[in-house]
Amino acid sequence: MWPMKWSIERWPANWSIEHKLPVFVSILLLAVVIVLLSIGYGEVRRASRVVAGERLGRATHELADLFQRSGTQQRTQMTTLASDSAVVSFLSWGGRRGRDEALAAMRRIVNDTSSSAAIELWDPNGHLLLRTGRLNIDDRPPSLPTSDSALVGPLVQHDTILYYAVAAAARRGEQPLGTVRQVRRLSLNARARSTMTGLAGGDVSLLLGNADGDPWTDLATIIPAPPAMVRTRTSTAGSVSYQRGKEWKRGSAAPIPGTPWMIIAELPRAVVRAPANAYVRRMTPIAAVILVIGALGAWWGSRRLTTPLRQITSAAEGIAGGDLQPRVSVHGEDELGRLARSFNTMAERVADAQHRLEEKVAERTAELESFSYSVSHDLRAPLRAIHGFARILQEDHRAELGAEAQRLLGIIDQNTLRMGQLIDDLLAFSRLGRQEVSKKHVDMGELARGIVDDVRRTEGDRPLEIAVDALPPASGDRALLRQALGNLVQNAAKFTRGRTPARIEIGTQPDGGRTVYFVKDNGAGFDERYAGKLFGVFQRLHRAEEFEGTGVGLAIVQRIVERHGGRVWAEGKVNEGATFYFTLPRSEG
Amino acid sequence: MDILLVEDNPNDAELTLRALKQRNLASQLHLCRDGAEALEFFAANVGPLPKVVLLDLKLPKVNGLEVLRMIKADDRTKTIPVVVLTSSREEPDIEKAYALGANSYIVKPVDFDAFARAVSDLGLYWLLLNHPPQ
Repeated sequence: MWPMKWSIERWPANWSIEHKLPVFVSILLLAVVIVLLSIGYGEVRRASRVVAGERLGRATHELADLFQRSGTQQRTQMTTLASDSAVVSFLSWGGRRGRDEALAAMRRIVNDTSSSAAIELWDPNGHLLLRTGRLNIDDRPPSLPTSDSALVGPLVQHDTILYYAVAAAARRGEQPLGTVRQVRRLSLNARARSTMTGLAGGDVSLLLGNADGDPWTDLATIIPAPPAMVRTRTSTAGSVSYQRGKEWKRGSAAPIPGTPWMIIAELPRAVVRAPANAYVRRMTPIAAVILVIGALGAWWGSRRLTTPLRQITSAAEGIAGGDLQPRVSVHGEDELGRLARSFNTMAERVADAQHRLEEKVAERTAELESFSYSVSHDLRAPLRAIHGFARILQEDHRAELGAEAQRLLGIIDQNTLRMGQLIDDLLAFSRLGRQEVSKKHVDMGELARGIVDDVRRTEGDRPLEIAVDALPPASGDRALLRQALGNLVQNAAKFTRGRTPARIEIGTQPDGGRTVYFVKDNGAGFDERYAGKLFGVFQRLHRAEEFEGTGVGLAIVQRIVERHGGRVWAEGKVNEGATFYFTLPRSEG
Repeated sequence: MDILLVEDNPNDAELTLRALKQRNLASQLHLCRDGAEALEFFAANVGPLPKVVLLDLKLPKVNGLEVLRMIKADDRTKTIPVVVLTSSREEPDIEKAYALGANSYIVKPVDFDAFARAVSDLGLYWLLLNHPPQ
C-alpha cells in the first residue's frame, strides 16, 4: 500500500490540472522538437556527406583523367624520342656525329617543353651517355620499361620543387639499346591551378602526391603526405573523414593511372557539416516558436478546461458544505457544458429534496408535538382519575374494605404513580430530540459541584464519598449538560445504596484531542454483556424492587451527549461498580 | 359566587370539587363543561364576577387559551385572576398562557394527594389571601 501512497504524495498530485497539463504538453512538445531536430540534423548531415562524397569523387576522377592524359602525352613524347633515328643510331653505333644529332633531337624537346628540366640517355648497363638540361636529380639508372610504352616515375622533392622522371626504352628489334629519361618539374601555373580548382568547385582543396608516401603538394606548396587511411581507400566510392595537420577534413582519393601518383580532393569537415549546422540554426528559432505557442496554447486550453471545473468544484464544495444555492454558469455543448448543466440539475434536485425533506420534517415534528401533547394531556387525565378515585375509596370507605381490598388498592395507587412517571420521562426524552442545543461555555466543575450538592440533599444522612476532580470547561447547553451529568451522578448515588463506604468520583481523562469525562462508582455495577442495552429507552438491568427507575435516565444522557456531538459508553462489573464515560466538544473560551 | 371552574372532564371536576370541599371552599362554585359555556356564562352574567377562574386548556368547542383571551380582552372581566389548571406541561402552552395574561399556571399532578394539595392551596390563596380590585 505505502509505495503507492508515497508516489501520490509526490509533486504531481499537489499540482492542479491547470499546471500539470501545460507542463505535460510542453515537455511532450520539447521532446518531439528535440527528436525532430536531431533526426533532421542527422539526415541533413548524412545527405551533405553523400553530396560531398560524390562531388569529391567526381573531382578526383576528373583530375586523375586530366593527369593521366598529360602523362600519356609525355610518355608518347619519350617513346617517340626513344625511337628517333638519331637516338637509335647513336645508341647503336655512337660516334661524334651521331652524338650531336642525338643531342639535337633531345634539345628540341627540352626547348619545346617549359617544364622539362633535363633529358638523359642511358645505356643498358646503367651508364649515363648523354645529358641535356640544367638539373640532375637522380643519378640512379632508370628502371627499364617492360613494354614499349614509357614509364612515369614517382615525385621527388628537390628544394621546394617537385620533379619526376618519364623514361622510355630505346630498342632495335628486340635488342635493348638504352633508355631515354626526361626529368620534369611538376609545375602548375596559376591558370592550371584555377582550372583544376574550378573543376573541383570552390572550397575543395586538391592534393597530389605519391600513392605510397611523401612528397605531396597542395598544388602550391609541398606538404606532408595525408594519412594512409585516405590514400588506401581509393577503390571504394565515397569519402572518408581524417585529420590532416590540425584540421579535420573529408576527402576522396583516386590513383592516376599510368603513374604511381594519387590525387585527393578534400573539403574541411566544417564545410561538409555547415548545412547541418545551418539547418539547426534555422530550425531552432522555429522550434522555439512552436514550443512557446504550444505551451501558451496548452496553458490557454487548460485554463479553458479548468476554469469551469474550478467553478463546478467550488459550487460542489459549497453544496457539500450545506449551501444549496450555488449554480454554475458554464455554457456550450461540449462535455464541460453538459457537466455544468447536469451539475445544476443535480443541485436543483438536491435543493428541492432538501426543501421537501425540511417540510416533511417540520410536518412530522408538528405531528409529533401534537402527539406528545395528547399523550401528556389525555393519558394523564385518566391516570389521575384512577389514582384519585382509588385514593377516595381508601379514604372514605376504609371501614367497608377488608385488608386484602386495601392492599389491592395500594397496588393500583403505586402503579398509577409509576405510569405517571413513565409518561413524564418519556415526554422529557422526546422533547430532547426537538429542543435546540445552544452552545455556550460551560464550567463543568461548577456544574458538577451543584449536582453533588443536590444529590447529597436528596440522599439525606447517607455517608457518600464524592470526589470532584478538576474538570475542563465544555461547550454546550448548560441546562442539558446539567441534566445529563445529574442523571449519571444520581444513578451512581442510587446504585451505591447499601455500600459502605459509597464512593463516587467525577473526573476526566485525556484521550487524543478530546476530553473524556467520567462518573465512577463502587456500586452494583452491571454485566458487560448487557452494556449495549444500558442506553436504550425503558431498558433496565435491575429489578424494580432492587433499584427504582423507569429506564429513561441513561437514554436521556445518551441523547444529550450525542446532540452535542459527543459519545457515551460504560464499563462495569457486577457488584464492583460502574464507570460512565462521555466526550464533549472543548470550549474555546 | 367565588370560583368558576372550566373543566370538561367530569372526573377531574369531581376531584377538584372534593379537594375544595375538604377546605370548605366549594360552596360558591360554578362549573362550565366547555369553552363555549364559559363564554356564555360571562355574557349572561350580570351579578358579581367570580373571584378566580380555574381554566383547563384542552376544552371542546372553544379551547382554554381562547377563553383566556376573551376574558382578558373584556374590560369587565380582565381583572379576574385566571389560574390555568391543566395536564399539559408543554412549554408553548405555558408561554402562550402567560402571554395572554394568565395569573398562574398549574400542572395537574397524577398523584391525587399532590393534586388535592395544589387545588386547595390555590383556592385558599386566591379566595382568602389575594386582594382583588373593588
